[in-house]
Amino acid sequence: MSPALIAALPFLGAVLPALLIRTGRSHAALAAGAVSGLALLGLLLHLPAALAGQVITAKFDWLPWLGLNANFMIDGLGMLFATLILGIGLLIILYARFYLSNQDPVGQFYTYLLLFQGAMVGIVLSDNILLLLIFWELTSLSSFLLIGYWKHLPEGRQGARMALTVTGLGGLSMIAGMLILGNIAGSYDISQILLAKEAIQSSDLYLPALILILGGAFTKSAQFPFHFWLPHAMAAPTPVSAYLHSATMVKAGLFLMARLWPVLAGTPEWFYIVATTGLITMLIAAKIAIFKDDLKALLAFSTVSHLGLVTFLLGLGTKVGAVAAVFHIINHASFKAALFMSAGIVDHEAHTRDLKRLGGLRHLMPITATIATIAALSMAGIPLFNGFLSKEMMLEEAAHTAWLGSPYVVPVLAAIAALFSATYSFRFIAHGFFGPVRDDYPHKPHDPPFGMWASPAFLATLVVLIGVMPITFAGPFVQMAANAVVGGDLHMHPIKHWHGVTPALIISGIAVVGGLILLASFKPLKAAWEATPRPEAKAIFDWIVGACGAAADWITATLHNGSMARYLTLFTIGSVAAGFWAFSGGGLGPETREMLPITPVALVGWVMLVTASASVVAFHHNRILALVLIGIVGLIVSICFIYLSAPDLALTQISVEVVTAVLMLLALNFLPKRTKRGAGPLKHVWHIAIAVVTGLGTGGLIYTLMMRDFAFETMSKYHLVNSHTLGGGDNVVNVILVDFRGYDTYGEVTVLGIAALVIFALTEALLNGASSKKLIAWRPDVPRAGDKHPIMLLVGTRVMMPIALLVGVFIFLRGHNLPGGGFIAGLVVSIALVMQYMASGFAWTQARQKVYYHVLIGLGVLAAGITGIGAWFNGVPFLTSDYGYVKLPGLEKFELATAAGFDLGVFLGVVGSVLLALGGLSRLARRAAVGAEPVHAHIIAEKPEARSPEQPGAFPPETLLPQRWAQARGYTSARQDDADTKPVKAKKTKPTEAEEQ
Amino acid sequence: MELFWEIVISALLVIGGFFGLVGSFGLVKLPDPMTRLHAPTKAATLGVGATLIASMVWFGVYKDDLTLHELMITIFIFLTAPISAHFIAKANIFRDWKQDQLPPPAGNGNWAVHEVESDTSAEELQEAEVSQKS
Repeated sequence: MSPALIAALPFLGAVLPALLIRTGRSHAALAAGAVSGLALLGLLLHLPAALAGQVITAKFDWLPWLGLNANFMIDGLGMLFATLILGIGLLIILYARFYLSNQDPVGQFYTYLLLFQGAMVGIVLSDNILLLLIFWELTSLSSFLLIGYWKHLPEGRQGARMALTVTGLGGLSMIAGMLILGNIAGSYDISQILLAKEAIQSSDLYLPALILILGGAFTKSAQFPFHFWLPHAMAAPTPVSAYLHSATMVKAGLFLMARLWPVLAGTPEWFYIVATTGLITMLIAAKIAIFKDDLKALLAFSTVSHLGLVTFLLGLGTKVGAVAAVFHIINHASFKAALFMSAGIVDHEAHTRDLKRLGGLRHLMPITATIATIAALSMAGIPLFNGFLSKEMMLEEAAHTAWLGSPYVVPVLAAIAALFSATYSFRFIAHGFFGPVRDDYPHKPHDPPFGMWASPAFLATLVVLIGVMPITFAGPFVQMAANAVVGGDLHMHPIKHWHGVTPALIISGIAVVGGLILLASFKPLKAAWEATPRPEAKAIFDWIVGACGAAADWITATLHNGSMARYLTLFTIGSVAAGFWAFSGGGLGPETREMLPITPVALVGWVMLVTASASVVAFHHNRILALVLIGIVGLIVSICFIYLSAPDLALTQISVEVVTAVLMLLALNFLPKRTKRGAGPLKHVWHIAIAVVTGLGTGGLIYTLMMRDFAFETMSKYHLVNSHTLGGGDNVVNVILVDFRGYDTYGEVTVLGIAALVIFALTEALLNGASSKKLIAWRPDVPRAGDKHPIMLLVGTRVMMPIALLVGVFIFLRGHNLPGGGFIAGLVVSIALVMQYMASGFAWTQARQKVYYHVLIGLGVLAAGITGIGAWFNGVPFLTSDYGYVKLPGLEKFELATAAGFDLGVFLGVVGSVLLALGGLSRLARRAAVGAEPVHAHIIAEKPEARSPEQPGAFPPETLLPQRWAQARGYTSARQDDADTKPVKAKKTKPTEAEEQ
Repeated sequence: MELFWEIVISALLVIGGFFGLVGSFGLVKLPDPMTRLHAPTKAATLGVGATLIASMVWFGVYKDDLTLHELMITIFIFLTAPISAHFIAKANIFRDWKQDQLPPPAGNGNWAVHEVESDTSAEELQEAEVSQKS
C-alpha cells in the first residue's frame, strides 16, 4: 500500500463511524477498527523492506513552486511510529467501545479519533517538512476535539483550549524554524535536508532555527516549562488520554527531534538546550507525580517525566543515546497505555480515581490489578520488565555525561529522577491495589468485561515479553528505527540484562530501595508538600490569556467602537491619503483621448443624478425618504449602464436595487425613522470637508483616467477576443463569471452562502436567547396601518409569480450569449419569491415553501463544484468548460455549455442566500409580533413537515429505528409490549405545536 | 406600405409622448395627493403602452423580428401600476386623514387601514389553509 494511502485512510474512513453510529456503537467501533486495521496491514506489508533498511516513498507534486510536495516515505523511524500509532489506536478503539457509555456521542469520538490518527500517521510518514507542518497543525486541532470531547465538563473545555493554545503556539514557532531550515538546506524535503548537515550546522541561522523548531517540539511533548497543559488535558475520556499521552500526540515532539537528529544534534547548543530541558522535566515532573492523588494526574506527570527522559537521551547527541531513546519510546508506549487503560477501568468500575479513596482493589478486580502492577513495575524500572532495560541504558549514558565540565551533575539528577519515578510507580500499585479492602468505594468495583481489559492485557504481555527477551521482541525494531535516527551505519550492541556491576545498576538499586523508603514515609512527605507554596501553572496561564484578551479588547474597542461614522471616516481618509500619496509620487502622461460630446440624454441623466444625490444629502434625516432617493440614484446608475452598453450590469444593478430596498425596509422596521442631529457644528464641517475632498479626488481621478489610455494593455481585450473560442459564449461578462474567473465566482457563491447562514445563525440567537425578551417587548415606533395583506397585492403577486419565474428562466438560459445569467436570474427569482412573502405574509408563504433555503445554498455550491470536477473526467483542469449547440424544435438554436451547470449553482446559491438572509431579518419582526407564544413556535411555523400532525419528525412514521437510539431521543415504540430488541416505529412523544396563526 | 407603417409608428409615439406630458403636467398641477394620483397612472399605462407598441411595430416591420417582450412589459405595467396606485392611496388615507374626516365606506365596517389588525385577505389566506389540509 502506498505510504500516501496509509496516511489518507484514517481521514477517508473518518466518515464511517459518524454515519454508522446510527446503527449502534459496535458498528461504529468496528468500522473505525477496520479502517485502522487496514492501514496497519498496509503498513506492515512494508515491514520486511523497512527492516532491511529500505525507504519506501510516494511523491506527488502539490505546490512545487512553494517547495510543498505531498511526499511520503516509510523509513525505519516512520515505520516504528506508524506501527505504534495504528497498533495502539486499534487497541484504544476496542477499549473505547466498552469504556464510553450510551449517552456519549460515540460516533463523534471515533471520527475525531480517526482524524487524529490520520494526522499523526501523516506526521511520521511525511517526507516534506511543510507537509509535516500541515499534519502537525491537524493534530493540534483534532486533539482539541478529542480533549474537549466531554463538552459538558468545563475542565474538558478549558483543558482542550489550553492544549490548543500551547501546542498551536509551538506549531507557529515551528513553522518559522522549518522555513529557516528549508531555506538553509535549499529544499523542504526531509530526505534532502538530512543530507545537509554541514551547511545547516555552520549557518548563522542554525541557533534561531534550532530554538524555533524546539519550541514546537517542546510544547508538543510537554517539556518544561510548557509541561502544564498535559495534566489539564486529562479531563478527556481515558481512551483519549491513553492514546494521546502514550503513543501519539506527545510523542510527536520526540519524533520530530529524532527525525531531525542527524542534522541538528551533535552541537553544544543542542546538548545544552535539549538534554538540560529533558533532565529538568524528568526531575520536576517525577517529583510532582509522587504527590498527585488522582490516578490520571499521577500518570500524566509521569508521562511528562518519561518524555523528559527521552528528550534527555536525544539531547545527548550520541548514537547509543539515540538507541536508548528509541527503545524507551517503545517501552513507554506499551506500559503507559496499559496504565492509563487500567486507571480508566478503575474509574469506570469504582467511580473514583482518587488514590485516597482506593486501595485493596487487587482482591476485587484481580485481572486489572495484575495488568496495572506489571505495567507499573515496568515504569519503576524493575528487572524483567521492559522499562528496566531502557532506564538502565539511560542511567548508563547519564553516568558518562559531563555537564559544564562537572561529571556529577547529570548522574546525580538522573538518579534522583529514577528514585522519584520508582516512588510514584510503587505508590500507584500500593495505594491503589494493595492494602485492605475498603467498604466506602463510591461504587462496588469488579473486573470489567473481557473487551475492556483485552487491550491493556495485550500491552502488559508485550511489557513482559520485551522485558524477558528484548532482542527477540524489540531488537530488530529498535535497530531499524535507531538506524534511521542516526542516519545509517549503526552497530547496535545487543540489549542485555546483565552488564556486570555498572554505575547504572548501582543507581537502579538505589532508586528502587529509595523508592520503597520514600513510599513508607509518604504521609509526612505529603504534609510537607502540601505546606510548601508552589506556582500554579493554570493560574499563570489563565492570567496571561486574560491579559491578552483584555489587550485585544482594548485595541478593538478603541479602533472599532461600533460607530459607523468613525469607520467611514477612517476608511475614506485612508483611501484619499493613499491616492494622494500615489499621485504625488508619479507623473501624469499627456491626454490621449478626446472629450466625447455631451448628448441631451446624458445631460438629463446627469442632472437627475445630481439632483437625487443632493436630495439625499438634504433630506437624509428622514430615513425612508432617503431610501427612496437612493433608489432613484440606483435607477439612474442602471440607465447609465444601458447607455454605456453594459446591459448585464444594468440588469444586475436593478435587481440588486430592489433586494437592497427590501432589506433596508426590513432593517428600518426596527430602527428609528429619523436620524438624530448628533454631531456639533465643528464635526459637521469636518465631515463636509472629508466628503468634498473625497468626492473631488475620486472625480478627478476618474476624469484623468478616462482622458488617457491605460499604461498597459488591459485584460478586457483578451476576454473579448477569446470569449467565444475558449468559453463558447458571446456574453463576455457571463463567460468571465463562469469560465475565465470561475474560481472567483465559486468562492463568491460559497462566501455568499456562508454570509446568509451567518445571518440566519445570528437571528436565531436573537430569537431564542435573552435578547428575544427585548424583541418581544419591542413596540413599533410609528402607528401601524391596518390591512396587513391587501387583497389587490395578493392577487397581483400571485398572477405575476409564474410570469416572473419564467422571466428568471429566460434570463438564465440566454445568459451565456446575451445579457443575463445565473446571478441575475437568481435575483429575479428571489424578487418573485420575496413578493409572495410581502403579499401573503411570512407564515403563509413559508408553509408553502417545500425546499429549505439552506438546502438551496448547499445544492448551489455542490452543483458548481460538481460541474467543476466534471472537467477532470475530460482530462482538463478543474472548472474548464465544454460546450455544444442544441436545436430543439420550436425553439431557437441554443447553446448548452457545461458552464450552464456552474451557472445553475450560482443561481441556486443566490436564491438561497437572498431569501435566507431576508427571511432571517423578517423572522425578527415576526418574533416581535408573535410575542408571548411558546419559544419555538416561529421555528415550527417555518418547517413545513413540523406543521402536519401526520409527520411529527424528520422520519416518516413507518421508518424502522434502532431501539436504544430511538429511546435516547424521545421516540417511543409503536409496539411497547414486544419492543425489547426489535426496531421501533418513529413516533415522537413530544406534542407538536403545529398549529400556526 | 412603408409610409403607412411610418405613420402608425409616429402616431403611436406622439400619443405616447402626449400622455407622458399630460401625466407629468398633472403631477405638477393637481392640488392634492388623491387627485395627483390620477396623473402618473395615465402616463404609465397609456403613455408607456403606446411607446411600447410603437417599438413592437418598428421591430416587426423594419427588423423582421417580431418580439413579444414589449407585450410582456405591458402586462407587467398593467399589473403593477394599479397596485402601486392602490398603495399610495392607502398610505394617503392612513397618514393624511383622520378617521372622522373620512366618509364612511360602503357596506359594514371601517376603512381597513384605520382598523388595527384588519386583513382584507384573511379569508383568502384562511381558505387556502383549510383546502390544503383537507
